[in-house]
Amino acid sequence: MKRKSSIRIKWKGLLKVLFLAFFLLIAILFLYSWNLSERIDQRFSSRRWSIPSKVFSDITILYPGQKLNRDSFDEKLRQLGYHLVPHKPREKGEFEISGNSLLLFLHDLKMPSLEREGFLVNIRFTGNRIESILRADTEKPIPLLELEPEEIMLFFGTERERRTLVSIDQVPQHLISAVLAAEDSRFYRHFGIDPLGILRAFYTNLRQGALRQGGSTLTQQLAKNYFLTADRTLPRKLKEMIISLIIEALYKKDEILEIYLNEIYFGQNGSVSINGVGEASLFYFGKSVNRLSRIEAATLAGLIRAPNHYSPYVDEKRCLNRRNMVLKAMHKNGWLSNDALQTDVQMPVNVSGFTDYGKKAPYFIDYLSQQLEALYSTETLSSMGLSIYTTLDTQVQAAAEKALEKGLDRMEKSIPILKRTAPSQKLQGAIIVMQPKTGYILAMVGGRNYRESQFNRVIQARRQPGSLFKPFVFCSALDRFTPASLLSNELASYQIDGVFWRPENFEPVSEKCVSLRTALKKSYNLATVDLAMKIGMDHIVQTAASFHFSTPIKAYPSLALGAFEVIPIELARAYSVFAADGFLPYPLSLREVTDEDGKILQQRHMNVESLISPAKAFIMNSMLRSVITEGTARSLTEKGIFGPVAGKTGTTNNYRDAWFLGYTPEILALVWVGFDNGDSIYSTGAKAAMPIWADLMKNIPQHISENWFNMPPGITQKTVCSESGLLAVTNGCPHPVEEIFLEENLPTLQCPLHRKEKPLHHLTKELKELLKAF
Amino acid sequence: MKIMQTNRKQSSKAPNRKTISSLFLVGCLLSQIGCMQKISIISSAPPPVPPVQSEGSGQASKQLSPRTLASMELTEQGRILLERGRSDDAIRVLERAISIDSGNGRNYFYMAEAWLHKENKEQAKEFNRIAEIYLRDDPEWESRIIRQRDRIQVLPK
Repeated sequence: MKRKSSIRIKWKGLLKVLFLAFFLLIAILFLYSWNLSERIDQRFSSRRWSIPSKVFSDITILYPGQKLNRDSFDEKLRQLGYHLVPHKPREKGEFEISGNSLLLFLHDLKMPSLEREGFLVNIRFTGNRIESILRADTEKPIPLLELEPEEIMLFFGTERERRTLVSIDQVPQHLISAVLAAEDSRFYRHFGIDPLGILRAFYTNLRQGALRQGGSTLTQQLAKNYFLTADRTLPRKLKEMIISLIIEALYKKDEILEIYLNEIYFGQNGSVSINGVGEASLFYFGKSVNRLSRIEAATLAGLIRAPNHYSPYVDEKRCLNRRNMVLKAMHKNGWLSNDALQTDVQMPVNVSGFTDYGKKAPYFIDYLSQQLEALYSTETLSSMGLSIYTTLDTQVQAAAEKALEKGLDRMEKSIPILKRTAPSQKLQGAIIVMQPKTGYILAMVGGRNYRESQFNRVIQARRQPGSLFKPFVFCSALDRFTPASLLSNELASYQIDGVFWRPENFEPVSEKCVSLRTALKKSYNLATVDLAMKIGMDHIVQTAASFHFSTPIKAYPSLALGAFEVIPIELARAYSVFAADGFLPYPLSLREVTDEDGKILQQRHMNVESLISPAKAFIMNSMLRSVITEGTARSLTEKGIFGPVAGKTGTTNNYRDAWFLGYTPEILALVWVGFDNGDSIYSTGAKAAMPIWADLMKNIPQHISENWFNMPPGITQKTVCSESGLLAVTNGCPHPVEEIFLEENLPTLQCPLHRKEKPLHHLTKELKELLKAF
Repeated sequence: MKIMQTNRKQSSKAPNRKTISSLFLVGCLLSQIGCMQKISIISSAPPPVPPVQSEGSGQASKQLSPRTLASMELTEQGRILLERGRSDDAIRVLERAISIDSGNGRNYFYMAEAWLHKENKEQAKEFNRIAEIYLRDDPEWESRIIRQRDRIQVLPK
């Protein structure tokens, strides 16, 4: 009895312990689940993914009558994700070329102040000119067509993930069916874990003697991706199951599916991973997810198991087999008819092709990033999915990069001593292209090869401008001197701080006395120094400061010849004043920043500041045009540039720097060539930099008009004697020329060299005598 | 000069000879003038180029360049946006219009209008000045520009 009762007591004690242990386990499990659900809720209710901010170029504008570089335009279409099809375009992003016509099914366009649905458009060409733009459906002419901006860079975080978020409503049913057929056909019937699926997987694996099926539900895959590692251990599996149960308890099936479809990994583009069906449909088929066909949907669903293994970009046949397996699974589940299956399995896998997500216009992006970093943290840029709209024109950028590369190669071939193997010692160059009126930076090439050197010579280099500075000396003089005023072009010595300075012309010339126009167009050093000395160096320093040169400028006579350092972008901006009717534009690269919903967070507008009178600007433009028509840059026409252009060449001492800056009312481009260490390049601005400029301009005809500047008020045209620079004596001066003057600074004196009594005066006298005689 | 003086002396003696000599002189002078006319006046300024055919220059629409026509399309969009009080959107569109055709004066006028609406006196003033350069030959626009300038003047700094 006693033994029995002691056994009973022992059992009771054991039961108590077991109960306690059980309750403790439940309590722990409850607390653990509570903790997990907190984590899940926090993770899912807050921002689920880091979306890198995207940087876009400016839009491309097309209009009838516009000249185009067809190769560059075709490349632009490709970069925008349009693909050539052998039939009439049926979907957005397709185009067909037929004779002189281009049928283009436009993408949708959505950006600040600009929104439109994609539609089919017919662009007809005559040679390299757009003849007409018509809506294909109505044949209605379109006066102006805007192509969407091009993505040029993504601000990736450490994950380097690319993702385009989609809502479940945007996902077509056939894609949902395909994904479920491929991964979890009982998704809408289980509670996060599918015991039937596990048993089926266990049986299949047992029968085949290998691990062929996982039996994981979509919820389990999501739990693994979000909260766990890829380890295949029992505790991890248990944890995955618990998390799945919690997710199912907390969220609806459609919500879970939406998260899954946005989360899932779909392969790799270089170092960037493609995540979510939204991004995958763009990457593989060049279209948004709502436009995916059934076979494309099946292809994507087939990729989920092993994206890089089944990728159509890796092995098309393997991809096709896998896709057909998915189609069969859809059929098995009753989501695809037998007829449709028979048709679909015969179809090939057609992919759109993709472009690398490399950084385009890297120097421009660096310049832009400096501005963005002042506005946003790196974390914000890499996670908040901002859209950053810029002024960059990718066609101009590509043309500038190509022109520089070609130009430097050409120089190295013609002057072999310039060719250096060490990347840091190579011949370098830089280009900046701006719209002078708006200040938009259209292109920026800060060096020959960004991978070899990230030093941005457009904004970081400090180089002597040489003769490129002369226009600012001449501009300073316009209150007292006219383009016809005469300057001494003879050798002279100047004493600076007790040291004699004896400037010389680039090459000996016979002209001892030249007009301002001639001095500038032929870039005479002696005449320029003469002018600088007459107007005073302090005055020139003041002018330079007003043109916003930020580098130190000292009032030495050599300043007139550009013997001080400038930053190339500041030089380009300063010349913009002439091209912009005397208004100084603010250089713009950033236009707008919007959040994911398109709300504008930042915007920059063109900003101008009046600096010199439009009349003075017009005179400068006229004189700088003479540089092209009959001065140091006259060979520009031989290089295929025929429209009206103003510009200036520049070469510094010992040929350290070669410059050319040319502009029209619409566009301005500055080219610099030199070595970073200041070695000689044995070439002038006209020979080294100008051909690069010409090459660039020939490739961007859409930016070149035949327009010249309107003559503003305050300008008067007079005939002057080219020898004296004063008003010409009618029929007296042997070489009269027409010249333009500021109204407040007109020549009043007549040419003393050729003044004589007027012949008519004699004739009158003679006639009077004759009459008297009668 | 010497010849002329000689002729003067002769003229006092014989009028008929004077007539002959005068006629001779006239002939000489005319021939001299003819020769002189061969001295051409060279333009020191570069050769003339077609003027910017913007609407500001008062050209009929059929003469407008494709650039100007395209720009005008945006000008109109900008104007409508301005009417709706959407100054920033209008500026954005007008900037594009200027990018295409920098000689279209109306773009600057409407830019001034947008900045006026945004109460930015400095920018409104600057764009009004640019508009004046391009629209000065159009009396109607000139008067609008003057009225706009007056409205800018009264804006607080």
